[in-house]
Amino acid sequence: MRSLDSPVVLAVLVAPVAALSGCGMGGALHQATLLGQCAAVDAACSRSHPQAPLAVGTRFYPEIAAELAGTTTPSLYLDSALPEVIAVDRGALVARRAGTSTVLISTDDGAVVDFIQVWAAPATKLALARRDGERIAGPIALAVGEDVTLEPALWNGAQRLAGDGGVTWTNEAPDALAVLRDGSADRRRLRARAPGRATVTAALGEATASVEIEVVP
Amino acid sequence: MTGRGLALGVALLAAAGCLPSLRAESTAPAGRIARLDAETGFWGIQHYRLELSQGVALAVSCDQLGPCERLTARSDDPAIAEVRPAALTALRPAGGTNQQPAAAVVIVGKAPGKTAIRVDSKDGGRQIWVTVVPPPGAVAATTAKRRSSSAVLAH
Repeated sequence: MRSLDSPVVLAVLVAPVAALSGCGMGGALHQATLLGQCAAVDAACSRSHPQAPLAVGTRFYPEIAAELAGTTTPSLYLDSALPEVIAVDRGALVARRAGTSTVLISTDDGAVVDFIQVWAAPATKLALARRDGERIAGPIALAVGEDVTLEPALWNGAQRLAGDGGVTWTNEAPDALAVLRDGSADRRRLRARAPGRATVTAALGEATASVEIEVVP
Repeated sequence: MTGRGLALGVALLAAAGCLPSLRAESTAPAGRIARLDAETGFWGIQHYRLELSQGVALAVSCDQLGPCERLTARSDDPAIAEVRPAALTALRPAGGTNQQPAAAVVIVGKAPGKTAIRVDSKDGGRQIWVTVVPPPGAVAATTAKRRSSSAVLAH
């Protein structure tokens, strides 16, 4: 009779449990994956975002997470099978054009620990949201001195895209409203300066979104 | 059949049966191809055939009564299909009572075309005839253009 600690029996018993518990990693070989770099206090930033395609023209800053039995994570680096689609630039993934490329996670000597297929898609829609994720659906009224932080969300049809760094912001009325950087590549803080109206537009490629801001005394 | 012919046949059959076998260890993403097939003849597996989309990788493991020992692989044209060693930590049964880490390589489709990859181990080698096919770029580009023309200006 086969003992319960034999490799075959363990594989039969453990594999379904591991699959159901969701502990499988994102890499094709189940040894490593790429996570988004999120600050612990940033509720709007999702570590699951690399599961989404990257918006063409943006960058994604991944964090390699490896789970190798019996060892801490060795020194790993990323490279791309098709740099013309997904390039690796100083640790960031750069979406250059629509398509897919394998991103290899390798040791210093070139041995592949895992790989993950990364997709890039053009942003066809851009939506603006508050920092807490609430979508902006209409004009915003601010009293002089008040501010609101807006964050762009990139979409391809009904699919949310990952990546940041490519969005440009324009403001038609800088006297009434200031559009300020706040340390994030794409997020902006809008500060009401003087009574009036302003239209602020965010754009990435052909996708744009505008919001009207009314500044009241 | 003469005795010599029978002996030769048995020897060839034994040799074919003792060569390593290859197995795909990953899958292709949606809409792309990564398919490894064994081409068999009278004496068993003759060689392998791999169809791979450009930009896609496939992990291929090598077994011969357990993970292959001293596994190496070389591509005739790395510009078409690149091959790299894989570092797998999963243990596989070896020799009945023992276990060894899986022996595998990762093959990456770099550019459309045909080439061959030679996989060698202590117990012999296998040939993989590789065809790298282009991604369905024309379809994707058309879709992207159609979508962007109907972009919604959300606010």
